[in-house]
Amino acid sequence: MFEEASEVLENMLKWSLPLSLVLFLVLLRAEAAHEFSVYRMQQYDLQGQTYGSRNAILNTEARTVEAEVLSRRCVMMRLADFSYEKYQKALQQSAGAVVIILPQNMSTMPQDIVQQFMELEPELLATETIVPVYFALEDEELLSIYTQTQISSSSQGSSSAAEVLLHTATANGFQMVTSGAQSKAVSDWAITSLEGRLTGAGEDLPTIVLVAHYDSFGVAPWLSYGADSNGSGVAILLELARLFSRLYSYKRSHAGYNLLFFLSGGGKFNYQGTKRWLEDNLDHTDSSLLQDNVAFVLCLDTLGNSDNLYLHVSKPPKEGSPQHILLKELETVVAHQHPELKFSMVHKKINLADDTLAWEHERFGIRRLPAFTLSHLESHRSPARHSIMDKRPHVDLTKLSRNTKVIAETLARVIYNLTEKGVSGDLEIFTEQMQVQEDQLASLLDWLTAQPRAAQLLDKDSSIVHTLEYYLNHYLKDVKRHLVRADKRDPEFVFYDQLKQTMNAYRVKPAIFDLLLAFCIASYLGVLYLAIQNFGLLYSFLRRVTSPRVKQH
Amino acid sequence: MTLFHFGNCFSLAYFPYFIAYKCSGLSEYNAFWRCVQAGATYLFVQLCKMLFLATFFPTWEGGVGVYDFVGEFMKATVDMADLLGLHLVMSRNAGKGEYKIMVAAMGWATAELIMSRCIPLWVGARGIEFDWKYIQMSFDSNISLVHYIAMAAVVWMFTRYDLPKSFRLPVTILLGLCVYKGFLMELFVHVFLLGSWTALLVKAVLTGAISLCSLFLFVTLVHSN
Repeated sequence: MFEEASEVLENMLKWSLPLSLVLFLVLLRAEAAHEFSVYRMQQYDLQGQTYGSRNAILNTEARTVEAEVLSRRCVMMRLADFSYEKYQKALQQSAGAVVIILPQNMSTMPQDIVQQFMELEPELLATETIVPVYFALEDEELLSIYTQTQISSSSQGSSSAAEVLLHTATANGFQMVTSGAQSKAVSDWAITSLEGRLTGAGEDLPTIVLVAHYDSFGVAPWLSYGADSNGSGVAILLELARLFSRLYSYKRSHAGYNLLFFLSGGGKFNYQGTKRWLEDNLDHTDSSLLQDNVAFVLCLDTLGNSDNLYLHVSKPPKEGSPQHILLKELETVVAHQHPELKFSMVHKKINLADDTLAWEHERFGIRRLPAFTLSHLESHRSPARHSIMDKRPHVDLTKLSRNTKVIAETLARVIYNLTEKGVSGDLEIFTEQMQVQEDQLASLLDWLTAQPRAAQLLDKDSSIVHTLEYYLNHYLKDVKRHLVRADKRDPEFVFYDQLKQTMNAYRVKPAIFDLLLAFCIASYLGVLYLAIQNFGLLYSFLRRVTSPRVKQH
Repeated sequence: MTLFHFGNCFSLAYFPYFIAYKCSGLSEYNAFWRCVQAGATYLFVQLCKMLFLATFFPTWEGGVGVYDFVGEFMKATVDMADLLGLHLVMSRNAGKGEYKIMVAAMGWATAELIMSRCIPLWVGARGIEFDWKYIQMSFDSNISLVHYIAMAAVVWMFTRYDLPKSFRLPVTILLGLCVYKGFLMELFVHVFLLGSWTALLVKAVLTGAISLCSLFLFVTLVHSN
């Protein structure tokens, strides 16, 4: 019986009975030619300074850069044709919006274009603009929309009146509309950081702190996967946690150092997580591992590639200090076990006049804790640290696992005092059952790069934070969360929403087309009117044709 | 493409009906109410056809690309009910042949126009997105008007008692063509993979041919005695 009822309904829609009138009055939305997700450019305030694109709404016609008039239009650009001058041109002509189309698979793009874009990303963000800038991933329909827009844009100035007329009848314009609301500041956003520890054997022990920030940064938050920066750092930290928790579980290898692991959030926004954690631990708590004897702090930042290794310091370590021991052990391990690796120390003073700090160790340095950052990048300004191009293929797994091993061996030599005991630099501790597991690193990295990890997208309930907490709980003790919320009156950071939208592209015809069509219809109706008026002529003609035959009967 | 485009399509669809009504002299005979009655009969006939189709015809479960010839043929056969409906309307109206035909056809076609074209035009043509199909739909309604006039004429001729023997066959053929025109059109589109504008053209030509033949026969019949 219900099949019949559904059949009746099906046929009802087919035959449009009055009952369907009620249904149809409700459905007044038109269908778009193409609907696709777009990701907005960053928008944030850091220490009072505004960055990025201020606007989110858009309802404008599409053009490409070749068109002459760009104001109040949505300018579409492909990554292959992107250049900073074109972008500036669009902004200067007060375009309505800019949409940059990225290929689905970055590896199909030639390296120099990728490199050029990576270098442009900070510049794009530095110019604060009210024009909404969106990024979209390319698919066939979007590509066809782009090519059609390009053809009509480039032919605008040239042709004759007749061509223009024909053009308006046949060409397709596109209207781009986003469905969301205007962007506004997110109130009360909590950046989460996680800490865990492995307590050493004995009392009043020195502490070694290992830090890595787990968020990522790029010109569009939803597209920042941060594989190398800092997915690699997080993967190494977690693998070290696993290895050392194993060592510490046996009484004979339980060392005389406390190990404190810290996964900080908001790292790309001037290390907010670390800053507040230090304030809470040093100023507001009575006793904390950080207040007593800290041997050194090692920050891991971007270690997934290349055969270089740099130890960044803000003050060269003094002879005999634990920091100096670390430096020496690193040199020993690299020289004996991995001669292909080029290791050096980079000394850069902390410059408090800069807008943002360079490396994470500087936060510790400001609070007079001895700290280093280990990275394969020589400069903190390297574009690889803030790029959406930093995806999984940017990390070389063998190099990542080699770097993990180097760090693990070095730390082991420090905490077990191996050089003093005369153990040669060739001895490898982390082999066989204790070896660095490449599959573990690979799966961690795959998981980390499977979703964007921008700080604006990870609130305290996000699955990434939960999973990291779970993982740390598995190997470490006293795993705690630490939340950072921006100060109400003078916020250090402000995030904005509407970072991901659905954009609709509607096929439209120019207004002239409507007038043209009205003119044609009017003339058609005129002809029809005349034809019907003179229908009698046809009638009498047929009568004359048939009547002679009748008369013949 | 907004209200202006909707206005364009609406005028393209409705004005020929308006013109036909005015110029055929129906307004002098106060035929408006009779046309509305014809429209009501159209609704009733469609309802019956729908129920019949829903009850007795299974849904087509084959692949997407394959065209169910037999099934669609059977469905088109049900369109014979249209003929019965037209006959019913015409038999209830007293008057000359032309009057009956015109009243029935106008009422029928207008009812079809309102029911099946009004809402898609209102919803679709008023949206931002432009599509040629709305203009095509409006042209199609013009073609339907001619088609229904021809169909009503053929039905009228079929039911005349003084129809000469030699006319029986052509009239029956025309009747069959009228009923199966929709089916034939879908067949052409499927077999020859016609574009939408070409299909419209073929439909116009087919309807034109049918109407010319029926007009020819009508003139011959009316003026033969």
